Amino acid sequence: MDNLQIGRHISGQFNEDLERVINNVMHMGGLVEKQVTDALAAVEQTDVELAKQVLSNDYQVNAYEVSIDDECTRIIAKRQPAAGDLRLIMAIVKTIADLERIGDEAEKIARVALESFSSSQQDLLVNLDNLGRRVLEFLQASLDAFTRMDCETAIKIHQMDDKINREYEALMRQLMTYMMEDPRSIPQVMTVIWSARALERIGDRCQNICEYIIYFVKGKVVRHTTAEDMKNL
Amino acid sequence: MISISPKALTPGSDTSFEQKLDLTNLTPEQVALDINKLNLFYGKKQALNNITMSIPKGQVTAFIGPSGCGKSTLLRSINRMNDLVDNCHITGEIILHGNNIYDKHVDVAELRRKVGMVFQRPNPFPKTIYENVVYGLRIMGENNRRRLDDAAEKSLRSAALWNEVKDRLHESALGLSGGQQQRLVIARAIAIQPEVLLLDEPTSALDPISTLTIEELINDLKKQFTVVIVTHNMQQAARVSDQTAFMYMGDLIEYSDTNTLFTTPMKKKTEDYITGRYG
Repeated sequence: MDNLQIGRHISGQFNEDLERVINNVMHMGGLVEKQVTDALAAVEQTDVELAKQVLSNDYQVNAYEVSIDDECTRIIAKRQPAAGDLRLIMAIVKTIADLERIGDEAEKIARVALESFSSSQQDLLVNLDNLGRRVLEFLQASLDAFTRMDCETAIKIHQMDDKINREYEALMRQLMTYMMEDPRSIPQVMTVIWSARALERIGDRCQNICEYIIYFVKGKVVRHTTAEDMKNL
Repeated sequence: MISISPKALTPGSDTSFEQKLDLTNLTPEQVALDINKLNLFYGKKQALNNITMSIPKGQVTAFIGPSGCGKSTLLRSINRMNDLVDNCHITGEIILHGNNIYDKHVDVAELRRKVGMVFQRPNPFPKTIYENVVYGLRIMGENNRRRLDDAAEKSLRSAALWNEVKDRLHESALGLSGGQQQRLVIARAIAIQPEVLLLDEPTSALDPISTLTIEELINDLKKQFTVVIVTHNMQQAARVSDQTAFMYMGDLIEYSDTNTLFTTPMKKKTEDYITGRYG
């Protein structure tokens, strides 16, 4: 929180407003992290109850997004934030949009647990484990960096998405082989592909969050820049 | 799998909304005023410390900073208003058209004709609206009725006041509202076609709607004049100016294009001031 220096405004009310918003973003992040963890666990253990719980909890994530959005709009209208405060509000508004989408992806993954897989096809799902673990790790690291507005970490973990993408591509090739070997497995393999896709998208969104952290701290837009440019920050 | 590496976005690419000047590297044609190592003392107290900056032509430059930071002092030195202050002593130079305005042989009245000024409180003369506007021209010896009429209309139109006063040009200016009086004073200042217009907190005594009218006017004025404005209202500086200079305790802390200064200031002092933090 040190990087934020929220408590130093002359207006105590403004400090409180910002603190409230940031706390809400952290709660939302915690909730989204739990949603992804639960969704992956539900798939791994074919836990239908847990999967249903993930589906029914998604509304909470959405509710957080709406209320934080609202609060940020109010802050902009009432306080006309500038410089670091403005970048913080922009970073928050963008981050919660990405968190909400991560919540949606968790929902997609949970739906896989509701599908009926015969025990022979169960092996297919094992393929998701590795990718899932990696993505979860990235999500946790990004949220952690966001909480501390830790630009160095954000720059470091930004590259984790490349590994996730490579793993995703490897998984795709593997799944395609399954389909070629046994066309009857195509419906189930497609389900696995959708959730792998969902995981890969979560990786992209974590990368976005890292970019917002860098934007807040450095004031530099690093979206759509090359890895070389990132090094020169 | 085909991989296409996306073209990296570079700042200032064609999709960028910003058009900014490089303030440290202006061509002589782009510069209206060059302030060079300006030090100003009131008695023994130094009010401006070694200010060096170039004010670009045809743009709005804002000075912001807390009370007593020297922004009004700096603005006043541009048309030598500080000459009227006892004990005021200046070193350094301000270059207008290649000449230092503090040179011994500079005619101050002539300088102030080129560098007009509008103050915090509207100060119309107790004369008619028409006489207020043409006052400067009359002093300069212009007595041709038609030319005066033309100049009055043109200035009042430029000051966005013509439609409100055209039917009562020969009534007293003191009957106008505060916002109208301020625009009248601006009309009076631009009637003599100055090159630079200095505005010292021009809207601090006005209501929000009149303030917006003046801000709109400032935006139009920069097409013809170089505008330098001092304001306590940071949002106003953000809205009207192209360049902003942040001053603190007589120092020029940061001077850059307004968009950058209000989103990504380089100096911590600037950041603290514009976000309302303890210094």
